[in-house]
Amino acid sequence: MSTLLFQGKLVRLGMDNPEELAKCFSRWRRDTEYYRLLDTDPARMFSVKAFQKDFEANLEKKPFDDYLFTIHTLKDDRLIGFIWLGGIDWNHGNGWVGIGLGEREYWGKGYGTDAMQVVLRYAFTELNLHRVSLNVFAYNPRAIHSYEKAGFQQEGRLRKLICRDGQRGDDIWMGILRDEWLKKQEA
Amino acid sequence: MTASLFQGELVRLVMENPEDFAKAFSRWGRDSEFIRLLDNDPARLVSVKTAKEWFEKDLEKEALEEAFFIIQPLESDQSIGFVGLGGIAWNHGEAWVGIGLGEREYWGKGYGTDAMRVILRYAFTELNLHRVSLGVFGYNPRAIRSYEKAGFVHEGRIRKQLWRDGKHWDAIQMGVLRNEWLERVKGEVQ
Repeated sequence: MSTLLFQGKLVRLGMDNPEELAKCFSRWRRDTEYYRLLDTDPARMFSVKAFQKDFEANLEKKPFDDYLFTIHTLKDDRLIGFIWLGGIDWNHGNGWVGIGLGEREYWGKGYGTDAMQVVLRYAFTELNLHRVSLNVFAYNPRAIHSYEKAGFQQEGRLRKLICRDGQRGDDIWMGILRDEWLKKQEA
Repeated sequence: MTASLFQGELVRLVMENPEDFAKAFSRWGRDSEFIRLLDNDPARLVSVKTAKEWFEKDLEKEALEEAFFIIQPLESDQSIGFVGLGGIAWNHGEAWVGIGLGEREYWGKGYGTDAMRVILRYAFTELNLHRVSLGVFGYNPRAIRSYEKAGFVHEGRIRKQLWRDGKHWDAIQMGVLRNEWLERVKGEVQ
């Protein structure tokens, strides 16, 4: 059995300090590009307090059905982003994943892919899920490439769902099945 | 797909009126034989109000961690008992089942076994669980026989766990696995 389920090659997942994450969440929102890559909602600002309340409520939930983690670099334990596994349909064994790296200097260097691999291992070997799903915007090729490296396949697209800067873009649906993930681990 | 997942050959499972059920549940407490067959807690009485609060609280829960039903015979709207899945461990696909028929005139006539079959079908075909577990007392051979009919196998016993009327009794652990259940109902269920 794996004893360091929350640790990858470049990052570890934590939830040591909801207040620290709330501060980051609030600050990362200043970066509108980050937010527009992350979500379809209109970009807006939230206070540290509002985020902290959300995270703390989440941690107290019973039963626990939303798994939110902070992403820290192994090298210097810096908090660089978050990853979330939730919306779990237990009877079907499906969960949704979302990830964001608020610290730009860690983009494109494998940190996100590593965090995703850690969460997939958690989803398939600890929660025993059958599939993990996500959606990503067509204007985010870096993320799509990262998800493909982690083993996700493109399964469909909602055409012209998103309107940004006067352009309409597709929302791409991706997924990975348990068997596919297991096969990838053997390779 | 089955259109009436909550209906068996003799009973239906419902949860339309927690208050009616709370009244019945409170009344059943007077029958301490029923309580002693049901549970290892000291027999006690529960008010209609307390029972109602339990059931309503359970129904308000958004995440499904328990699935609790009232048993009614197909021929009437009388609440004759209850059956419920609880302690659902989703990551392992396991749950516990508990059943009680408070109305004595329905004992030993197949109503409980039928209700158990309905809830096993629910557990395996709707919740997609992998196993269902239960505990039963050595002094309740009627229940043990019913569980065996529904497909449960004996898996172990906790020796002399219970002390009642000056005598020690074993608690028996039983379980049914998804594959065993599928094999059993082959042809009956798609």
